[in-house]
Amino acid sequence: MTLSSNSASSVVKAPEKKSSLKANQFWARVIFSISVLYFLIPLVATFYWSLRGKKDVLGFEAYKKLFADTNFLPAFSESIVNAIAAIFLSLLIIVPTAYWVTLRLPKLRPVVEFITLLPFVIPAIVLVFGLIRLYSRPPLLWTATYDSSRVLLVCVYAALSFPYMFRSVDNGLRAIDVRALTEAAQSLGANWVTILLRVIFPNLRTALLSGALLTFAIVIGELTIALYMAQHTLGPYMADLTRSKVYEPSAMAIVSFAITWAAMGIIQLVTGGQGQTTGGH
Amino acid sequence: MKSSINTDPKLTNTTVGGVKRPPQFQIGHWFGVIPFFVFSGLFLIAPTVVLAYRSLESPAGGLTLEFYGDLLNETVISAYVMSIRISLTTAILGGIIGFLIAWAVSIGGLPRPFRSITTTFSGVASNFAGVPLASAFVFTLGRVGAITALLKLFGVELYKSGFSLYSFLGLTLVYLYFQIPLMVLVILPALDGLKRDWREAAENLGATPYQYWRHVALPVLTPSILGTMILLFGNSFGAHATAYALTGGLFTLATLLIGQQISGDVLHNPGLGYAVAMGMVIVMAVSIFIYSILQRRSERWLR
Amino acid sequence: MKTRKNLFHLLSLVLLVSLVLVACGPTAPEAPAETEAPEVPAVTEAPAATEAPAADPMTALYEAAKAEGMLTTIALPLDWCNYGPMYEGFKAKYPGIEINPLDPGAGSAEELEAIKANKDNPGPQAPDVVDIGIGLAPGAVEEGLLQPYKVSTWDDIPEGAKDADGYWYGDYYGVLAFEVNTAVVANPPTEYADLLKPEYNGQIALSGDPLTSNAAALSVWAAGLSTGATGDEAAQAGLEYFKSLNEAGNFVPIDGDSRTVGIGETPILIDWSYNSIANDIALAGNPDLVTNVPKAGIIAGVYVQGISAYAPHPNAAKLWMEYLYSDEGQLIYASGFCYPIRLDAMNAAGSIPADVFAQLPSIEGAYFPTVAEITSARAIIAEGWPTVVGVEVKPLP
Repeated sequence: MTLSSNSASSVVKAPEKKSSLKANQFWARVIFSISVLYFLIPLVATFYWSLRGKKDVLGFEAYKKLFADTNFLPAFSESIVNAIAAIFLSLLIIVPTAYWVTLRLPKLRPVVEFITLLPFVIPAIVLVFGLIRLYSRPPLLWTATYDSSRVLLVCVYAALSFPYMFRSVDNGLRAIDVRALTEAAQSLGANWVTILLRVIFPNLRTALLSGALLTFAIVIGELTIALYMAQHTLGPYMADLTRSKVYEPSAMAIVSFAITWAAMGIIQLVTGGQGQTTGGH
Repeated sequence: MKSSINTDPKLTNTTVGGVKRPPQFQIGHWFGVIPFFVFSGLFLIAPTVVLAYRSLESPAGGLTLEFYGDLLNETVISAYVMSIRISLTTAILGGIIGFLIAWAVSIGGLPRPFRSITTTFSGVASNFAGVPLASAFVFTLGRVGAITALLKLFGVELYKSGFSLYSFLGLTLVYLYFQIPLMVLVILPALDGLKRDWREAAENLGATPYQYWRHVALPVLTPSILGTMILLFGNSFGAHATAYALTGGLFTLATLLIGQQISGDVLHNPGLGYAVAMGMVIVMAVSIFIYSILQRRSERWLR
Repeated sequence: MKTRKNLFHLLSLVLLVSLVLVACGPTAPEAPAETEAPEVPAVTEAPAATEAPAADPMTALYEAAKAEGMLTTIALPLDWCNYGPMYEGFKAKYPGIEINPLDPGAGSAEELEAIKANKDNPGPQAPDVVDIGIGLAPGAVEEGLLQPYKVSTWDDIPEGAKDADGYWYGDYYGVLAFEVNTAVVANPPTEYADLLKPEYNGQIALSGDPLTSNAAALSVWAAGLSTGATGDEAAQAGLEYFKSLNEAGNFVPIDGDSRTVGIGETPILIDWSYNSIANDIALAGNPDLVTNVPKAGIIAGVYVQGISAYAPHPNAAKLWMEYLYSDEGQLIYASGFCYPIRLDAMNAAGSIPADVFAQLPSIEGAYFPTVAEITSARAIIAEGWPTVVGVEVKPLP
C-alpha cells in the first residue's frame, strides 16, 4: 500500500517536490553557514591565542608546557573514566524510568520531570556541601577515602545528567510508537527485560546517543563538585591553570575540545551512528 | 480501525488480544521506576531537603523565616528578575535557532555527514562554558578582540558605538553558544519521529509546506520543543561560571548571589544563600507546572 | 485513583527517607570533635618559645604526623608567595607525608565554609590548615573553627599580628600595587589619581569582588586612603572613588588575575605586589609587565595561618606550621617577594641573606591597619558596593 502511494505521489508531485526540496536545501545551507561562522570564529580566536606561547613567535610552546605537566594526563583520564561510568549508570536508570512513565504511570510524569530538573536549580556549590554533610558521617560514610568519594562523585554525575538523558529519551520515545511496539512484543510473549533490551533500546539509538554525548560533556568539564570532593579531575585542573597562566588555558581548551570530540566520535561509532531519519519501522 | 490492541490509557493493562490482564497496580511497573526514585532521593532530593532545612536554620539554633524575609530586598529581587530575563531570552532564541539547525541537518536535506558532524560538535559545544567560553568571546569580541580589530580596519569602532561584550546582549550571545547545541542534540530525536509518510500524505492532499508545518509537524513536535525549552531555561537559570567569568559584578544573577553568600568574605550570610537557592527551586517548580499545562494541551490531539 | 494513592505512598516514602537522612545530617553546632589522633603521644600546645628549642618534641611531632600520612591544605596557589617551593621543601624535609591541596582558588570565607561543611568528615575533603585574611580571623575563632597552637618561634611574631591565645598567627604580608600590561598600556599609571584619566578607559580591574575578597576590599579602602582620608571615612571615600572610576568607564567589573592581565582584558590590575612580580617573572616578557606601588594610599595586608578545629590530621597540621615559621619556611616566603612575619627577628639574628632581602619590594610608608579597623572598613565597603557597581547602576541593555 505504501509503495503504490509513494510512486503515485512521486509521479504527480515530482516537479513541485523538486523545487520545494531545492528551497529547503537553500535555506538549510544558509542557516548552517551562519551557524558555522558563529561557532567557529571564537574557536579559531582561541586557537590563535594558544599559539602565542612564545614571545613574538607563533608556535606550540603552550602545548608543550601543557603536556609536560605531570598532572594533566592523569586528570584527563580520570575524568574520562568517570564519564563513561556515569553514562552507563544514567542509561540504566533513566531508560526504564522514561519507558514506564510513558506507558504505565503517566500520572507520575510531572513528579519525575520535576525531579529530573532538580540539578538545574540546586547550584553545584550548594549541592556539594549538602552531599558532604549527608555522607561524611556514619551510617552513610562515603567520603572517608578518595576512592569511595570517587564512587559518590560518579553517582552524583549520573544524577546531574538526568535532565538531559530524560529529555532525550523522552523525545525518542515520543518519536517511536512505544505503546504499539510494546503491545506487539507482549502479544509475541516477550517479558519486560526482553522488551527493554531487544525492542526499546535499539530503537532509541539516536536519543541514547544524544544523552550519552551530553552526559560525557558535563562530566568532563564539571568543576565545583569535583573540587570540593577533593577529586583530581580535569575541571579543577583547568580552573587552576586558568587562574595562573595566560596561554596554557587556551591550549587546554583546544586540547579538551579535540579529545572530547574524539571520544564522542568513538561513542557514535559504538552506538551505530546516526541511522534513522524516520522513526520506528 | 477495529483492533485488539487497545491504546486507550485508561484501559491499557486490562485487555490485550482479548486476554484480561492483571489490574493496574502491579509491582512490576514500579520496579522500573524505583531505582530512579532511590537514586534521586539519595543524590538530588536529600540535598534539596538539606538545603531547605538550612534556609530555615537560625544561627542561634532553631528555625526561622528571617532569611526568606531577606529575599524581599531589592538586590535579591533584581537578581531573580535578571536571571529569569536571561534564561527566557536564551531559551527562546536558543530554542528557535537550535530547532532550525536541527531541521537543516535532518529534514532540511543537508548531506548525511553534516548531521554527524553537527551532533558531535553540539555534544562538545554544549559543555563549552565558563572561563574557556568567556575567554573565547573576549578573544573575538572583547576590547582587544579579533573581530573588534577587524572592524576597526573598516572604520567601525565597536566599543565607541555603545556595544560591549560585558552587557546583557553580550551575555546572551555567549550563553547561546551552549544553549543552541543543547537544543539541537535534544530535539533531533523528535525530528526523526516526523514520518515521511505524513509529509507525502499532506502534499497529496494539496497542503503547502506552510500548512504542513502549521497543522501537522509543529503540533506533533510542540511537546518536545516545549520540554526542551524548559531544559534550556533551567540550564541557563542554573549557570554560574560563564556569567562570573564574563561580567563579574556587573549583573547580579541569582546564582552569583548564592555564590557570594556562601563563599563571601564580607557578607557571609549562608542562610540567605540557601533561601535564594530555595527560591530558585520554586521558580523552576512554577516553570515546570506551566510547562506541564502547556504540554497537556498540546498533547491532547495526539491521543 | 489507585495510581494517585500509590503516588502518594511513594512520595511519602521518598520524603520519609529524605527526612531520616536529614535528621542524621546537620546537627546543632558541636564542640570541636576529639581528633582521631593515633596512640602516639601527640604534641599539643608547644611550650612558650622561650623554652628549649623543639628538638625532641619536633621528632615526636614528625612521627605523629607521619603516622597520619597526609596534610590537607586549601587556597594555596603554587605561585602565591612561593607555596610551590614551600610544598617541595616540606616534602623534602619531612618525607612520608602526602600533601593534598584543595581548591587553590578559594577565598578566605570559602576556606572557613569548607571547615564547617566537613566537621565530622575524616576524608580528604576536610582542610587541616587555612591561610586567611587577618580580618576574618576573629570571626573564625568565635565560630569555633580553629584550634590553638603556638609554634616554637611564637615570640618572633609581632603582637598585632597574632591572637593572644594562639588561635591564629600572621605568616606574611605585602602591599597593594598596580600590575600593568605594558603591551597594551603605553603609559603605566603610578598613583590612584592617575587611574581616573580617560586614557585608561576600560582597563582597570580589581583582583576579586569587594564583597567576597579580602584583597579587593582592601583595594577599595586603599583608593580612599590615597585621597588623604583615614579609617571609615577612607572606606566611604574609596566607594566614591570607584563610583567615579566606573562612571568614567575606566573600571572593568570582573575578577582580574594574571590571565586577564596577560590577554589584555584587564591590563591594569590592583593586586598584591608579590603576585604581580611573580607573574611578571613567569611571563618572561610575553607580554611585558610592570609593577607600580602607589605611594599615596599604600596599604599592607597580613595573611594569617590557623589549624582547623576539626582537622583530620592535626599533627601534620602542626608540623606544617612549624615549617612555615622556621627560618627555612620564612625565607621561602621572602624569595616569593612576600615579607615574612618574623622579618625583624630574623634580621636581628642575621638569618636573611642580603640578596633575598634586596629583592623584596619596597613597603616604605605602608599603613598597617589593625584588625578592628579592617573589619569596620570592610563592613562599610560591603554595604556600599552595590550602589557603585552592580544592580543599582543601570546595567547596559
